[in-house]
Amino acid sequence: MSEDAISTVPNPATSKRRLHGIRFNLEVRRDISPWWQAAYLAGFIALGIGISAIILIWAGVPAGDLIDQFLVETLTDSDNLRSVLFQGAPFILVGLSASVAFRARFWNLGLEGQMIWGGIGATFISIHHIGPEALRLPIMIFAAAACAMAWVAIAGQLKLKLAVNEIISTLLMNYVALNFLYHLLYGPWRDATDGFPHSPKYADFERLPDFFSFSGALPLALITALGVWWLVSFTRFGFYMKFVQASDKVAGAVGIPVARITLVSVLLSGALAGIAGFVVASGQEGRLIQNFSDGYLFSGILIAFLSRNNPIVAVIVAMLVSMLFISGQSLQVFYQIPFAMVQLVQAIIVICVAASEFLIRHRIHIVR
Amino acid sequence: MTPALDLVDIRKTFDGFVALDDAHFSAYAGEVHALLGENGAGKSSLMNVACGLYTPDAGQMLIDGAEVSLAGPSEASARGIGMVHQHFKLVKPFTVAENILLANPRRSFAKGIREISDEIRRRSDALGFNIDPTRRVGELSVAEQQRTEILKVLVGGARILILDEPTAVLTDQEAETLLTTVRGIAAQGAAIILVTHKLADVKKFADRVTVMRGGKTVATIDPSTKTTDELTELTVGASLPLPARTPGHFGRRRIEVINLRCTRADGHIALEDASFYVRAGEIYGIAGVSGNGQSELAEALMGVRTPESGLIQIEDAGEAVSAASPARMRALGAAFIPADRYSYALAGSLSITENFAVGGVGTGRYGSWAHLRQSAMKKDAEEAIGAFDVQGVRTLSQKAALLSGGNAQKLVIAREFSRSPNVIVAHSPSRGLDARATAAVHSRLMSAREAGAAVILISEDLDEALALSDRIGVMTHGRLVAEFDAPADRQQVGRAMVGHV
Repeated sequence: MSEDAISTVPNPATSKRRLHGIRFNLEVRRDISPWWQAAYLAGFIALGIGISAIILIWAGVPAGDLIDQFLVETLTDSDNLRSVLFQGAPFILVGLSASVAFRARFWNLGLEGQMIWGGIGATFISIHHIGPEALRLPIMIFAAAACAMAWVAIAGQLKLKLAVNEIISTLLMNYVALNFLYHLLYGPWRDATDGFPHSPKYADFERLPDFFSFSGALPLALITALGVWWLVSFTRFGFYMKFVQASDKVAGAVGIPVARITLVSVLLSGALAGIAGFVVASGQEGRLIQNFSDGYLFSGILIAFLSRNNPIVAVIVAMLVSMLFISGQSLQVFYQIPFAMVQLVQAIIVICVAASEFLIRHRIHIVR
Repeated sequence: MTPALDLVDIRKTFDGFVALDDAHFSAYAGEVHALLGENGAGKSSLMNVACGLYTPDAGQMLIDGAEVSLAGPSEASARGIGMVHQHFKLVKPFTVAENILLANPRRSFAKGIREISDEIRRRSDALGFNIDPTRRVGELSVAEQQRTEILKVLVGGARILILDEPTAVLTDQEAETLLTTVRGIAAQGAAIILVTHKLADVKKFADRVTVMRGGKTVATIDPSTKTTDELTELTVGASLPLPARTPGHFGRRRIEVINLRCTRADGHIALEDASFYVRAGEIYGIAGVSGNGQSELAEALMGVRTPESGLIQIEDAGEAVSAASPARMRALGAAFIPADRYSYALAGSLSITENFAVGGVGTGRYGSWAHLRQSAMKKDAEEAIGAFDVQGVRTLSQKAALLSGGNAQKLVIAREFSRSPNVIVAHSPSRGLDARATAAVHSRLMSAREAGAAVILISEDLDEALALSDRIGVMTHGRLVAEFDAPADRQQVGRAMVGHV
């Protein structure tokens, strides 16, 4: 025992927490006021924008043109503004879709597959001329939502009944959906008029109408966002969802029907993604094309993450992402900046927001 | 002689809330020094200052007479201060040796594992710990995990050992063994600080005790000079009344459990042919050494575990249910006070209002499915918090996780009792609570009994079961092996608890 006896010689202090001679300690915070939380968040978003600006300048965009490109040109040019407002609609919808699923702790990575099924459902109605012309649009939206719900229900049931991880099932089912779309476009749904692998064009009354020369997609998305906000904030369903999100074990033990709440949330998430699919198909080309859902998975997750699953904040974030996209397109044209730069900017902002979590959870104390 | 650890005039605030104010503490090498106080008295905050997790706003810390300021736990550990937290900080899929290496890194992994394994074997033999360094921590019992934690800080060269509520998770025998071992470590020249609210442990094992109340140090004394009642009065600030026992008025059988059988995930039988009934106005205690099927019984009664066979019959239902969901059991008038609050009762990240109101939302009390009236929820929560004396609520929108153990338990009881239940299942309702909160919980259970509820009290604390129960069933190895009417003889019940081992 002698060699293991309690040591009496203290080791020298070897603190690694030292920065330029200043020693500091990290404490885990118990609580933080929402104002400080918002302030940290804003600070880190500004940092992310700053880093992005430096990279863009380094890539060849003149510093003076940055604000011009990102704000002035995007918002004052009427074509650009119209694009921003239209592009915002599917972003809002996929952002809501991801938020609703994440609130029920269901990691829906199948947004793109569900969008494809939304597009397929709507196009099926269009090709087979189902329903009177005046009701065609609502029927198409309904069909889009229904098909996407049926698609996501597979992953939902797999999780609830067989405990299959939804991250894997939803993600892989995207490829199944995509290949089925290719099958339709190269096969039975190929446009007979020009022979290209895309579906026949929708009739005019099958496309979202314009209001005051702006696309009707945005009002549709905004009304949906209000509905989702009401659902998660003021209804019994939304209340139960909070418990399912906080802890499904506790939720079950206090008598909340966890499986039902999860399933309904998953179906709603799928429906929202399906409607987003219809909005893109109808609003952009007015037909189903091959890769119309590309990139929406990442954007949807990004919007849900940045908005902390809050539907109203998701609208704002979606519009900002839309601005970033449209200005990215002009950067491509004017400065030959690759479009990947837009994704890089998105990623930098996400990293900065994630980093802000550290300061929200910890407090730094300077030790004298 | 200079103290090994000396904390002088320590002050610590969190966003305006004063956790410590003029706190003093000093421990000498070779002594077991208990730190006694209620939940929220500041014991843990003070020890978190000592082990470098918190930086104090004011005050001095001296090690062997030299003033130090710590920048984090690794520096504290380099200076010989080791803390064993109440919630163990171990990586479950790692082996014992890997966990200890993780906290005490060496240059080479393979060599480090070899050296550390040897050292674990040596120390473990010397202390009688019987820990195999190659076993995975996840496979160890709670007591063995705790020994791993102690080995971890000893290997790190700790001379000042802080044990935070070490006996809270142990059975009586395990606690006795641990505290005896700890005395041995002190005898070799370490300073042992025992953070606790168990007076019996203090009386039996501590050389000195420092009492804290409301963030201040009240006194440092030799515990052998004081009676248990005097110590209680020092910690609580007043003496506590014992729950008054009235003769029972028993009605009809409210709940009957028939041949309940449960199997654990690993195939072991946890509960075998458990049968008992509880009448209206009666407290039925289930006593036993922990791990003999009590958790499974509680979970089956709550509806969160599906029994393999057997029935649970509630009188009002008129029919027996074999596998009820929690929602169904609640609809039949059952209320639950689970042992693990944050697993089965409270969502820590949600507000106090939400955690309270969730009990009434499904009944339509706060409006239809389409619109919930937040103001009505707030009003009810506010009333209940007053009625059930839930302390430490700064705002109703504060997270439930910020409540101390006792107050969180009071919140659970406030919610569960707000619907005047006719069956109550309480599992270790006073675990981790201080004397005052325990007394409050006990008096709530007694008044539910007066009101005619059938109460099932599953308790690993024999004194609690004896004090409250009208009848006591003893559980060993998943079976109810004996039943006693109150007043039961402590010796007899105790023998039944271990008789079948």
